[in-house]
Amino acid sequence: MISVKNIKVVFGKGTPLQKQALNGVSLTIEQGSFVTVIGSNGAGKSTLLGVLAGDVLPSEGEVTIGHTDVTRKGTAARAGLVARVFQDPLTGSCGTLSIEENLALAARRGESRGLTPALGAKRREHFRERIAELNLGLENRLGDRMDLLSGGQRQAVSLVMATLAGSEVLLLDEHTAALDPGMAEFVMNLTQKIVTERKLTTMMVTHSMRQALDYGHRTIMLHGGEIVLDVAGDSRKTLQVEDLIAMFRRIRGQTLDDDALLIG
Amino acid sequence: MSQIAFWGAVELGLVYAFVAVGVFLAFRVLDFPDLTVDGSFPLGAAVTAVLIIAGVNPWLAAAVAMVAGAAAGMVTALLNVRFRILNLLASILTMIALFSVNLRVMGKPNVALINADTMLSPFYGSGLRDFYVRPLFVGILVLVAVVIVWRFLESDAGLAMRATGANARMARAQGVDTSRQIYLGMAISNALVAFGGALFAQTNGFADVTSGVGTIVVGLAAVIIGETLFGARGILIALAGCVLGSILYRIAIQLALSTDMLGLQASDLNFVTAALVTVALVLPRLRRRGAA
Repeated sequence: MISVKNIKVVFGKGTPLQKQALNGVSLTIEQGSFVTVIGSNGAGKSTLLGVLAGDVLPSEGEVTIGHTDVTRKGTAARAGLVARVFQDPLTGSCGTLSIEENLALAARRGESRGLTPALGAKRREHFRERIAELNLGLENRLGDRMDLLSGGQRQAVSLVMATLAGSEVLLLDEHTAALDPGMAEFVMNLTQKIVTERKLTTMMVTHSMRQALDYGHRTIMLHGGEIVLDVAGDSRKTLQVEDLIAMFRRIRGQTLDDDALLIG
Repeated sequence: MSQIAFWGAVELGLVYAFVAVGVFLAFRVLDFPDLTVDGSFPLGAAVTAVLIIAGVNPWLAAAVAMVAGAAAGMVTALLNVRFRILNLLASILTMIALFSVNLRVMGKPNVALINADTMLSPFYGSGLRDFYVRPLFVGILVLVAVVIVWRFLESDAGLAMRATGANARMARAQGVDTSRQIYLGMAISNALVAFGGALFAQTNGFADVTSGVGTIVVGLAAVIIGETLFGARGILIALAGCVLGSILYRIAIQLALSTDMLGLQASDLNFVTAALVTVALVLPRLRRRGAA
Protein backbone atom coordinates (compact mmCIF):
# COMPACT_ATOMS: atom_id res chain seq x y z
CA MET A 1 0.00 0.00 0.00
CA ILE A 2 1.21 3.50 -0.84
CA SER A 3 -0.25 6.65 0.58
CA VAL A 4 0.94 10.17 -0.14
CA LYS A 5 -0.83 13.12 1.44
CA ASN A 6 -0.63 16.68 0.20
CA ILE A 7 2.92 16.39 -1.11
CA LYS A 8 4.67 19.59 -2.10
CA VAL A 9 8.09 19.72 -3.72
CA VAL A 10 9.87 22.92 -4.70
CA PHE A 11 13.13 22.91 -6.62
CA GLY A 12 15.57 25.82 -6.39
CA LYS A 13 13.58 27.58 -3.66
CA GLY A 14 14.32 31.29 -3.44
CA THR A 15 16.14 31.41 -6.77
CA PRO A 16 14.86 32.87 -10.06
CA LEU A 17 14.54 29.27 -11.33
CA GLN A 18 12.19 28.22 -8.51
CA LYS A 19 9.85 25.49 -9.69
CA GLN A 20 6.89 23.93 -7.94
CA ALA A 21 7.41 20.34 -9.11
CA LEU A 22 4.59 18.84 -7.05
CA ASN A 23 1.77 21.00 -5.78
CA GLY A 24 -0.23 19.20 -3.12
CA VAL A 25 -0.49 15.72 -4.58
CA SER A 26 -2.52 13.18 -2.62
CA LEU A 27 -2.82 9.59 -3.73
CA THR A 28 -3.58 6.17 -2.27
CA ILE A 29 -2.63 2.99 -4.06
CA GLU A 30 -4.10 -0.19 -2.63
CA GLN A 31 -2.14 -3.36 -1.98
CA GLY A 32 -1.56 -5.29 -5.21
CA SER A 33 -2.75 -2.48 -7.47
CA PHE A 34 -0.86 -1.60 -10.67
CA VAL A 35 -0.98 2.12 -11.44
CA THR A 36 0.36 3.79 -14.55
CA VAL A 37 1.37 7.44 -14.54
CA ILE A 38 1.50 9.71 -17.58
CA GLY A 39 2.13 13.37 -18.15
CA SER A 40 4.15 15.70 -20.33
CA ASN A 41 7.74 16.64 -19.61
CA GLY A 42 7.99 18.57 -16.38
CA ALA A 43 4.54 17.43 -15.25
CA GLY A 44 6.02 15.98 -12.06
CA LYS A 45 5.89 12.23 -12.74
CA SER A 46 9.59 11.65 -12.14
CA THR A 47 9.42 13.82 -9.02
CA LEU A 48 6.48 11.78 -7.70
CA LEU A 49 8.49 8.61 -8.28
CA GLY A 50 11.49 10.23 -6.60
CA VAL A 51 9.34 11.11 -3.58
CA LEU A 52 8.33 7.47 -3.25
CA ALA A 53 11.87 6.19 -3.80
CA GLY A 54 13.42 8.65 -1.36
CA ASP A 55 15.58 10.55 -3.89
CA VAL A 56 13.41 13.63 -3.35
CA LEU A 57 12.30 14.62 0.14
CA PRO A 58 9.11 16.72 0.04
CA SER A 59 8.94 20.12 1.72
CA GLU A 60 5.40 19.36 2.89
CA GLY A 61 3.19 16.32 3.18
CA GLU A 62 3.37 12.71 4.28
CA VAL A 63 4.52 9.54 2.53
CA THR A 64 3.57 6.11 3.81
CA ILE A 65 4.70 2.86 2.23
CA GLY A 66 3.21 -0.31 3.66
CA HIS A 67 2.58 0.79 7.21
CA THR A 68 5.78 2.78 7.56
CA ASP A 69 5.99 6.56 7.51
CA VAL A 70 8.96 7.17 5.20
CA THR A 71 8.53 10.93 4.67
CA ARG A 72 11.96 11.75 6.11
CA LYS A 73 13.78 8.55 5.15
CA GLY A 74 16.46 8.64 2.46
CA THR A 75 16.73 6.20 -0.44
CA ALA A 76 18.96 3.69 1.35
CA ALA A 77 16.92 3.73 4.56
CA ARG A 78 13.69 2.76 2.78
CA ALA A 79 15.19 0.42 0.19
CA GLY A 80 13.72 -2.58 2.01
CA LEU A 81 10.26 -1.31 1.08
CA VAL A 82 10.97 -0.11 -2.44
CA ALA A 83 12.12 -2.08 -5.46
CA ARG A 84 12.92 -0.07 -8.52
CA VAL A 85 13.83 -0.25 -12.19
CA PHE A 86 15.36 2.87 -13.70
CA GLN A 87 14.87 4.40 -17.13
CA ASP A 88 18.55 4.21 -18.00
CA PRO A 89 19.70 0.57 -18.05
CA LEU A 90 23.12 1.77 -16.86
CA THR A 91 21.68 3.27 -13.66
CA GLY A 92 19.94 0.19 -12.33
CA SER A 93 22.94 -2.11 -12.18
CA CYS A 94 26.72 -2.01 -11.75
CA GLY A 95 28.41 -2.36 -15.13
CA THR A 96 31.76 -3.32 -13.67
CA LEU A 97 30.32 -6.12 -11.52
CA SER A 98 29.24 -9.49 -12.87
CA ILE A 99 25.60 -10.42 -13.45
CA GLU A 100 25.55 -12.69 -10.42
CA GLU A 101 27.24 -10.06 -8.25
CA ASN A 102 24.51 -7.62 -9.23
CA LEU A 103 21.93 -10.25 -8.33
CA ALA A 104 23.65 -10.87 -4.99
CA LEU A 105 23.55 -7.15 -4.24
CA ALA A 106 19.85 -7.00 -5.03
CA ALA A 107 19.06 -10.15 -3.06
CA ARG A 108 20.12 -8.36 0.14
CA ARG A 109 18.28 -5.12 -0.65
CA GLY A 110 17.33 -3.39 2.56
CA GLU A 111 18.92 -6.07 4.72
CA SER A 112 22.13 -6.02 6.71
CA ARG A 113 25.19 -7.15 4.81
CA GLY A 114 27.70 -9.30 6.64
CA LEU A 115 30.83 -11.22 5.79
CA THR A 116 29.04 -14.20 4.25
CA PRO A 117 30.43 -14.92 0.77
CA ALA A 118 28.15 -13.08 -1.65
CA LEU A 119 28.10 -15.98 -4.12
CA GLY A 120 27.62 -19.21 -2.20
CA ALA A 121 26.59 -22.34 -4.13
CA LYS A 122 23.00 -22.12 -2.92
CA ARG A 123 22.56 -18.50 -3.94
CA ARG A 124 24.20 -19.14 -7.32
CA GLU A 125 21.72 -21.92 -8.02
CA HIS A 126 18.82 -19.69 -7.06
CA PHE A 127 20.09 -16.89 -9.33
CA ARG A 128 20.58 -19.32 -12.18
CA GLU A 129 16.96 -20.49 -11.88
CA ARG A 130 15.57 -16.98 -11.77
CA ILE A 131 17.64 -15.80 -14.74
CA ALA A 132 16.82 -18.94 -16.73
CA GLU A 133 13.13 -17.94 -16.53
CA LEU A 134 13.94 -15.01 -18.81
CA ASN A 135 14.79 -17.39 -21.68
CA LEU A 136 17.55 -15.08 -22.83
CA GLY A 137 20.33 -17.63 -22.35
CA LEU A 138 21.89 -15.44 -19.68
CA GLU A 139 21.95 -18.28 -17.12
CA ASN A 140 25.19 -19.46 -18.75
CA ARG A 141 26.74 -16.02 -18.57
CA LEU A 142 26.27 -15.22 -14.90
CA GLY A 143 29.99 -14.52 -14.45
CA ASP A 144 30.03 -11.98 -17.30
CA ARG A 145 30.29 -8.32 -16.53
CA MET A 146 26.97 -6.51 -16.60
CA ASP A 147 28.21 -3.97 -19.15
CA LEU A 148 28.56 -6.73 -21.74
CA LEU A 149 24.76 -7.01 -21.90
CA SER A 150 22.47 -5.03 -24.20
CA GLY A 151 20.16 -2.40 -22.74
CA GLY A 152 17.17 -4.72 -22.98
CA GLN A 153 19.00 -7.61 -21.32
CA ARG A 154 20.08 -5.28 -18.53
CA GLN A 155 16.50 -4.12 -17.96
CA ALA A 156 15.30 -7.72 -17.91
CA VAL A 157 17.94 -8.60 -15.32
CA SER A 158 17.03 -5.43 -13.40
CA LEU A 159 13.43 -6.66 -13.20
CA VAL A 160 14.62 -9.95 -11.75
CA MET A 161 16.85 -8.01 -9.34
CA ALA A 162 13.84 -5.99 -8.22
CA THR A 163 12.02 -9.14 -7.15
CA LEU A 164 14.84 -11.09 -5.45
CA ALA A 165 14.18 -9.40 -2.12
CA GLY A 166 10.70 -8.67 -0.81
CA SER A 167 9.25 -5.17 -1.14
CA GLU A 168 6.04 -3.25 -0.52
CA VAL A 169 6.14 -1.48 -3.83
CA LEU A 170 7.71 -1.77 -7.28
CA LEU A 171 8.59 1.50 -9.01
CA LEU A 172 9.14 1.50 -12.77
CA ASP A 173 10.57 4.71 -14.18
CA GLU A 174 9.95 4.67 -17.95
CA HIS A 175 11.90 1.46 -17.88
CA THR A 176 11.30 0.63 -21.55
CA ALA A 177 11.91 4.14 -22.92
CA ALA A 178 15.55 3.50 -23.82
CA LEU A 179 14.87 0.19 -25.60
CA ASP A 180 14.10 -0.73 -29.19
CA PRO A 181 10.42 -1.63 -29.83
CA GLY A 182 10.98 -5.39 -29.80
CA MET A 183 12.91 -5.39 -26.56
CA ALA A 184 10.50 -2.87 -25.04
CA GLU A 185 7.64 -5.29 -25.68
CA PHE A 186 9.61 -8.17 -24.21
CA VAL A 187 10.38 -6.20 -21.06
CA MET A 188 6.74 -5.05 -20.76
CA ASN A 189 5.45 -8.61 -21.05
CA LEU A 190 7.96 -9.68 -18.46
CA THR A 191 6.87 -6.81 -16.22
CA GLN A 192 3.24 -7.85 -16.57
CA LYS A 193 4.08 -11.46 -15.74
CA ILE A 194 6.16 -10.59 -12.67
CA VAL A 195 3.67 -8.05 -11.32
CA THR A 196 0.73 -10.45 -11.76
CA GLU A 197 2.49 -13.52 -10.37
CA ARG A 198 3.83 -11.72 -7.33
CA LYS A 199 0.80 -9.45 -6.82
CA LEU A 200 3.11 -6.47 -6.50
CA THR A 201 1.89 -2.99 -5.70
CA THR A 202 3.31 -1.21 -8.72
CA MET A 203 3.66 2.30 -10.02
CA MET A 204 4.86 2.66 -13.60
CA VAL A 205 5.76 6.02 -15.06
CA THR A 206 5.57 5.99 -18.83
CA HIS A 207 5.72 8.31 -21.79
CA SER A 208 3.45 6.11 -23.83
CA MET A 209 -0.32 6.57 -23.48
CA ARG A 210 -0.76 3.20 -25.16
CA GLN A 211 1.27 1.48 -22.43
CA ALA A 212 -0.51 3.48 -19.75
CA LEU A 213 -3.90 2.14 -20.83
CA ASP A 214 -2.85 -1.39 -21.84
CA TYR A 215 -1.23 -2.27 -18.54
CA GLY A 216 -2.33 -2.01 -14.93
CA HIS A 217 -5.61 -1.25 -13.18
CA ARG A 218 -5.57 2.48 -12.93
CA THR A 219 -4.12 5.45 -14.82
CA ILE A 220 -3.12 8.81 -13.43
CA MET A 221 -2.23 11.89 -15.43
CA LEU A 222 -0.10 14.61 -13.94
CA HIS A 223 0.13 18.17 -15.17
CA GLY A 224 1.91 21.10 -13.58
CA GLY A 225 2.58 19.14 -10.43
CA GLU A 226 -1.05 18.12 -9.89
CA ILE A 227 -3.15 15.06 -10.61
CA VAL A 228 -5.53 16.09 -13.39
CA LEU A 229 -6.92 12.66 -14.24
CA ASP A 230 -7.44 9.48 -12.28
CA VAL A 231 -9.31 6.65 -14.00
CA ALA A 232 -9.85 3.03 -13.03
CA GLY A 233 -12.31 0.20 -13.53
CA ASP A 234 -14.92 0.16 -16.30
CA SER A 235 -14.47 3.77 -17.37
CA ARG A 236 -10.81 2.98 -18.00
CA LYS A 237 -11.48 -0.21 -19.96
CA THR A 238 -13.32 1.65 -22.69
CA LEU A 239 -10.85 4.50 -22.74
CA GLN A 240 -8.83 5.07 -25.90
CA VAL A 241 -5.67 7.08 -26.39
CA GLU A 242 -7.77 9.67 -28.29
CA ASP A 243 -10.21 9.95 -25.38
CA LEU A 244 -7.31 10.49 -23.05
CA ILE A 245 -6.06 13.37 -25.15
CA ALA A 246 -9.55 14.90 -25.40
CA MET A 247 -10.03 14.52 -21.68
CA PHE A 248 -6.71 16.12 -21.06
CA ARG A 249 -7.68 19.09 -23.23
CA ARG A 250 -11.00 19.53 -21.50
CA ILE A 251 -9.58 19.41 -18.01
CA ARG A 252 -6.82 21.81 -18.78
CA GLY A 253 -8.75 23.95 -21.22
CA GLN A 254 -5.74 24.33 -23.41
CA THR A 255 -4.35 22.88 -26.60
CA LEU A 256 -1.96 20.06 -26.48
CA ASP A 257 1.40 21.09 -27.78
CA ASP A 258 3.57 18.28 -26.52
CA ASP A 259 4.23 15.68 -29.19
CA ALA A 260 5.67 13.33 -26.63
CA LEU A 261 2.19 12.70 -25.26
CA LEU A 262 0.92 11.56 -28.64
CA ILE A 263 3.64 9.07 -29.35
CA GLY A 264 2.66 5.47 -28.90
CA MET B 1 72.51 -6.26 -9.00
CA SER B 2 73.77 -8.17 -6.00
CA GLN B 3 71.70 -10.78 -4.22
CA ILE B 4 71.35 -8.56 -1.19
CA ALA B 5 70.16 -5.68 -3.34
CA PHE B 6 67.67 -7.97 -5.12
CA TRP B 7 66.14 -9.36 -1.92
CA GLY B 8 66.16 -5.87 -0.47
CA ALA B 9 64.07 -4.73 -3.43
CA VAL B 10 61.68 -7.67 -2.99
CA GLU B 11 61.34 -6.85 0.71
CA LEU B 12 60.59 -3.20 0.04
CA GLY B 13 58.15 -4.22 -2.68
CA LEU B 14 56.33 -6.46 -0.20
CA VAL B 15 56.22 -3.70 2.43
CA TYR B 16 54.72 -1.37 -0.16
CA ALA B 17 52.30 -4.09 -1.25
CA PHE B 18 50.23 -2.97 1.75
CA VAL B 19 50.23 0.52 0.27
CA ALA B 20 49.28 -0.90 -3.14
CA VAL B 21 46.34 -2.85 -1.73
CA GLY B 22 45.23 0.22 0.23
CA VAL B 23 45.46 2.39 -2.88
CA PHE B 24 43.57 -0.27 -4.84
CA LEU B 25 40.73 -0.13 -2.30
CA ALA B 26 40.50 3.66 -2.48
CA PHE B 27 41.13 4.30 -6.19
CA ARG B 28 39.65 1.21 -7.80
CA VAL B 29 37.03 -0.15 -5.42
CA LEU B 30 35.67 3.11 -4.01
CA ASP B 31 36.73 5.32 -6.96
CA PHE B 32 38.09 7.77 -4.38
CA PRO B 33 41.39 9.43 -5.41
CA ASP B 34 42.98 9.46 -1.99
CA LEU B 35 46.28 11.20 -1.29
CA THR B 36 45.94 10.71 2.48
CA VAL B 37 48.36 7.81 2.14
CA ASP B 38 51.30 10.22 1.82
CA GLY B 39 50.54 11.10 5.44
CA SER B 40 49.19 7.82 6.80
CA PHE B 41 52.26 5.82 5.72
CA PRO B 42 54.72 7.87 7.83
CA LEU B 43 52.00 8.10 10.51
CA GLY B 44 52.08 4.32 10.81
CA ALA B 45 55.88 4.39 10.93
CA ALA B 46 55.93 7.19 13.53
CA VAL B 47 53.35 5.61 15.83
CA THR B 48 54.97 2.19 15.75
CA ALA B 49 58.49 3.60 16.30
CA VAL B 50 57.51 5.78 19.23
CA LEU B 51 55.57 2.97 20.88
CA ILE B 52 58.37 0.44 20.43
CA ILE B 53 60.84 2.83 22.01
CA ALA B 54 58.38 3.28 24.88
CA GLY B 55 58.62 -0.48 25.41
CA VAL B 56 55.33 -1.52 23.82
CA ASN B 57 55.13 -4.93 22.13
CA PRO B 58 55.96 -4.39 18.42
CA TRP B 59 52.85 -6.30 17.24
CA LEU B 60 50.68 -4.13 19.44
CA ALA B 61 52.56 -1.07 18.17
CA ALA B 62 51.73 -2.07 14.60
CA ALA B 63 48.08 -2.61 15.56
CA VAL B 64 47.91 0.87 17.09
CA ALA B 65 49.50 2.23 13.90
CA MET B 66 46.65 0.65 11.93
CA VAL B 67 44.08 2.33 14.18
CA ALA B 68 45.85 5.67 13.67
CA GLY B 69 45.82 5.12 9.89
CA ALA B 70 42.13 4.22 9.98
CA ALA B 71 41.43 7.42 11.90
CA ALA B 72 43.31 9.45 9.28
CA GLY B 73 41.22 7.83 6.54
CA MET B 74 38.02 8.62 8.45
CA VAL B 75 39.03 12.29 8.65
CA THR B 76 39.36 12.42 4.86
CA ALA B 77 35.99 10.65 4.53
CA LEU B 78 34.44 13.11 6.98
CA LEU B 79 35.71 16.11 5.01
CA ASN B 80 34.31 14.61 1.82
CA VAL B 81 31.01 13.10 2.99
CA ARG B 82 29.97 15.49 5.72
CA PHE B 83 31.45 18.77 4.53
CA ARG B 84 31.15 18.05 0.80
CA ILE B 85 34.78 18.88 0.06
CA LEU B 86 35.98 17.43 -3.25
CA ASN B 87 37.47 13.98 -2.53
CA LEU B 88 40.95 14.77 -3.89
CA LEU B 89 41.13 18.07 -2.01
CA ALA B 90 39.82 16.50 1.20
CA SER B 91 42.62 13.95 1.09
CA ILE B 92 45.25 16.63 0.39
CA LEU B 93 44.07 18.57 3.46
CA THR B 94 44.42 15.49 5.67
CA MET B 95 47.80 14.69 4.13
CA ILE B 96 49.16 18.18 4.86
CA ALA B 97 47.78 18.12 8.40
CA LEU B 98 49.33 14.70 9.01
CA PHE B 99 52.79 16.08 8.33
CA SER B 100 52.46 18.19 11.49
CA VAL B 101 50.78 15.36 13.37
CA ASN B 102 53.66 13.03 12.54
CA LEU B 103 56.20 15.56 13.81
CA ARG B 104 54.18 15.86 17.02
CA VAL B 105 53.98 12.09 17.41
CA MET B 106 57.74 11.69 17.11
CA GLY B 107 58.72 15.01 18.66
CA LYS B 108 61.48 15.23 16.04
CA PRO B 109 61.85 14.59 12.30
CA ASN B 110 63.07 11.02 12.72
CA VAL B 111 63.30 8.24 15.26
CA ALA B 112 65.83 5.39 15.11
CA LEU B 113 64.99 1.85 16.26
CA ILE B 114 68.55 0.63 16.77
CA ASN B 115 68.66 -2.48 18.98
CA ALA B 116 64.95 -2.21 19.72
CA ASP B 117 62.79 -5.32 19.59
CA THR B 118 60.69 -5.53 16.44
CA MET B 119 58.21 -8.02 15.03
CA LEU B 120 61.16 -9.59 13.21
CA SER B 121 63.55 -9.94 16.16
CA PRO B 122 62.49 -13.52 17.09
CA PHE B 123 63.22 -14.68 13.52
CA TYR B 124 66.71 -13.23 13.15
CA GLY B 125 69.51 -15.68 13.78
CA SER B 126 67.24 -18.65 13.10
CA GLY B 127 69.76 -20.02 10.61
CA LEU B 128 68.31 -18.13 7.64
CA ARG B 129 70.23 -15.04 6.65
CA ASP B 130 68.63 -11.72 7.53
CA PHE B 131 68.10 -10.57 3.96
CA TYR B 132 65.97 -13.69 3.40
CA VAL B 133 64.16 -13.50 6.74
CA ARG B 134 62.76 -10.04 6.12
CA PRO B 135 61.06 -10.60 2.73
CA LEU B 136 59.82 -14.01 3.91
CA PHE B 137 58.28 -12.54 7.04
CA VAL B 138 56.71 -9.57 5.24
CA GLY B 139 55.59 -11.87 2.42
CA ILE B 140 53.61 -14.04 4.83
CA LEU B 141 51.90 -10.96 6.29
CA VAL B 142 51.09 -9.75 2.77
CA LEU B 143 49.56 -13.13 1.97
CA VAL B 144 47.37 -12.98 5.07
CA ALA B 145 46.28 -9.42 4.26
CA VAL B 146 45.48 -10.28 0.63
CA VAL B 147 43.37 -13.27 1.63
CA ILE B 148 41.43 -11.19 4.19
CA VAL B 149 40.82 -8.32 1.76
CA TRP B 150 39.85 -10.78 -0.98
CA ARG B 151 37.33 -12.62 1.21
CA PHE B 152 35.96 -9.29 2.38
CA LEU B 153 35.48 -7.90 -1.14
CA GLU B 154 33.66 -11.05 -2.20
CA SER B 155 31.32 -10.98 0.80
CA ASP B 156 27.95 -9.22 1.01
CA ALA B 157 29.57 -6.33 2.87
CA GLY B 158 32.39 -6.03 0.33
CA LEU B 159 29.95 -6.13 -2.56
CA ALA B 160 28.17 -3.15 -1.01
CA MET B 161 31.50 -1.29 -0.98
CA ARG B 162 32.25 -2.19 -4.59
CA ALA B 163 28.79 -1.09 -5.66
CA THR B 164 29.33 2.24 -3.89
CA GLY B 165 32.37 2.89 -6.08
CA ALA B 166 30.86 1.48 -9.27
CA ASN B 167 27.37 3.01 -9.14
CA ALA B 168 26.46 4.91 -5.98
CA ARG B 169 22.90 5.62 -7.09
CA MET B 170 22.21 1.95 -7.67
CA ALA B 171 23.89 1.07 -4.36
CA ARG B 172 21.59 3.42 -2.46
CA ALA B 173 18.55 1.99 -4.24
CA GLN B 174 19.68 -1.41 -2.93
CA GLY B 175 19.78 -0.07 0.60
CA VAL B 176 23.51 0.54 0.82
CA ASP B 177 24.41 3.55 2.96
CA THR B 178 27.06 4.89 0.59
CA SER B 179 28.39 7.47 3.08
CA ARG B 180 29.10 4.72 5.59
CA GLN B 181 30.84 2.70 2.89
CA ILE B 182 33.16 5.62 2.16
CA TYR B 183 34.04 5.95 5.86
CA LEU B 184 34.64 2.22 6.14
CA GLY B 185 36.61 1.94 2.90
CA MET B 186 38.85 4.89 3.66
CA ALA B 187 39.48 3.52 7.15
CA ILE B 188 40.47 0.07 5.85
CA SER B 189 42.57 1.54 3.05
CA ASN B 190 44.56 3.83 5.30
CA ALA B 191 44.87 1.22 8.05
CA LEU B 192 46.60 -1.03 5.50
CA VAL B 193 48.85 1.82 4.38
CA ALA B 194 49.73 2.67 8.00
CA PHE B 195 50.53 -0.99 8.64
CA GLY B 196 52.87 -0.79 5.65
CA GLY B 197 54.47 2.23 7.33
CA ALA B 198 54.78 0.29 10.61
CA LEU B 199 56.49 -2.57 8.76
CA PHE B 200 58.74 -0.12 6.98
CA ALA B 201 59.89 1.32 10.31
CA GLN B 202 60.44 -2.13 11.80
CA THR B 203 62.31 -3.60 8.82
CA ASN B 204 64.43 -0.51 8.18
CA GLY B 205 65.01 0.47 11.80
CA PHE B 206 63.76 4.06 11.61
CA ALA B 207 60.78 6.31 11.08
CA ASP B 208 61.19 9.55 9.15
CA VAL B 209 58.64 12.27 8.65
CA THR B 210 59.63 12.69 5.00
CA SER B 211 59.34 9.00 4.15
CA GLY B 212 55.74 9.54 3.04
CA VAL B 213 56.54 11.77 0.08
CA GLY B 214 55.36 10.10 -3.10
CA THR B 215 53.77 7.11 -1.35
CA ILE B 216 50.66 7.56 -3.46
CA VAL B 217 52.64 7.45 -6.70
CA VAL B 218 54.45 4.29 -5.62
CA GLY B 219 51.15 2.68 -4.64
CA LEU B 220 49.50 3.71 -7.90
CA ALA B 221 52.51 2.50 -9.86
CA ALA B 222 52.11 -0.94 -8.29
CA VAL B 223 48.37 -1.03 -8.98
CA ILE B 224 48.83 0.06 -12.59
CA ILE B 225 51.73 -2.29 -13.29
CA GLY B 226 49.60 -5.12 -11.87
CA GLU B 227 46.66 -4.16 -14.07
CA THR B 228 48.87 -3.85 -17.14
CA LEU B 229 50.22 -7.36 -16.56
CA PHE B 230 47.02 -9.15 -15.55
CA GLY B 231 44.14 -7.06 -16.89
CA ALA B 232 40.78 -6.98 -15.11
CA ARG B 233 39.97 -10.56 -14.15
CA GLY B 234 38.42 -10.58 -10.75
CA ILE B 235 39.34 -9.43 -7.28
CA LEU B 236 41.94 -12.02 -6.34
CA ILE B 237 43.90 -11.52 -9.57
CA ALA B 238 43.73 -7.75 -9.10
CA LEU B 239 45.09 -8.05 -5.55
CA ALA B 240 47.83 -10.41 -6.66
CA GLY B 241 48.59 -7.86 -9.38
CA CYS B 242 49.01 -5.15 -6.74
CA VAL B 243 51.54 -7.26 -4.83
CA LEU B 244 53.47 -8.36 -7.88
CA GLY B 245 53.31 -4.86 -9.32
CA SER B 246 54.80 -3.48 -6.14
CA ILE B 247 57.68 -5.99 -6.21
CA LEU B 248 58.36 -5.49 -9.91
CA TYR B 249 58.33 -1.75 -9.44
CA ARG B 250 61.03 -1.99 -6.78
CA ILE B 251 63.15 -4.35 -8.88
CA ALA B 252 62.80 -2.03 -11.89
CA ILE B 253 63.89 0.94 -9.77
CA GLN B 254 66.78 -1.05 -8.30
CA LEU B 255 67.89 -2.09 -11.79
CA ALA B 256 67.65 1.44 -13.14
CA LEU B 257 69.68 2.83 -10.27
CA SER B 258 72.30 0.08 -10.23
CA THR B 259 73.00 0.18 -13.95
CA ASP B 260 76.01 2.44 -14.31
CA MET B 261 75.33 2.82 -18.01
CA LEU B 262 72.27 5.01 -17.37
CA GLY B 263 74.29 7.23 -15.05
CA LEU B 264 71.40 7.56 -12.60
CA GLN B 265 71.84 8.34 -8.93
CA ALA B 266 69.59 7.78 -5.90
CA SER B 267 68.23 11.32 -6.09
CA ASP B 268 66.78 10.55 -9.53
CA LEU B 269 64.34 8.10 -7.91
CA ASN B 270 61.28 10.32 -8.13
CA PHE B 271 61.89 11.07 -11.79
CA VAL B 272 62.33 7.38 -12.60
CA THR B 273 59.10 6.62 -10.68
CA ALA B 274 57.15 9.24 -12.61
CA ALA B 275 58.58 7.95 -15.90
CA LEU B 276 57.73 4.35 -14.98
CA VAL B 277 54.13 5.17 -14.04
CA THR B 278 53.73 7.16 -17.24
CA VAL B 279 54.98 4.21 -19.30
CA ALA B 280 52.64 1.83 -17.43
CA LEU B 281 49.74 4.18 -18.13
CA VAL B 282 50.54 4.76 -21.80
CA LEU B 283 51.52 1.21 -22.72
CA PRO B 284 48.02 -0.37 -22.58
CA ARG B 285 46.64 2.46 -24.68
CA LEU B 286 49.35 2.05 -27.32
CA ARG B 287 48.75 -1.70 -27.35
CA ARG B 288 45.03 -1.15 -27.86
CA ARG B 289 45.68 1.27 -30.71
CA GLY B 290 48.03 -1.25 -32.27
CA ALA B 291 45.34 -3.92 -32.10
CA ALA B 292 42.67 -1.68 -33.59
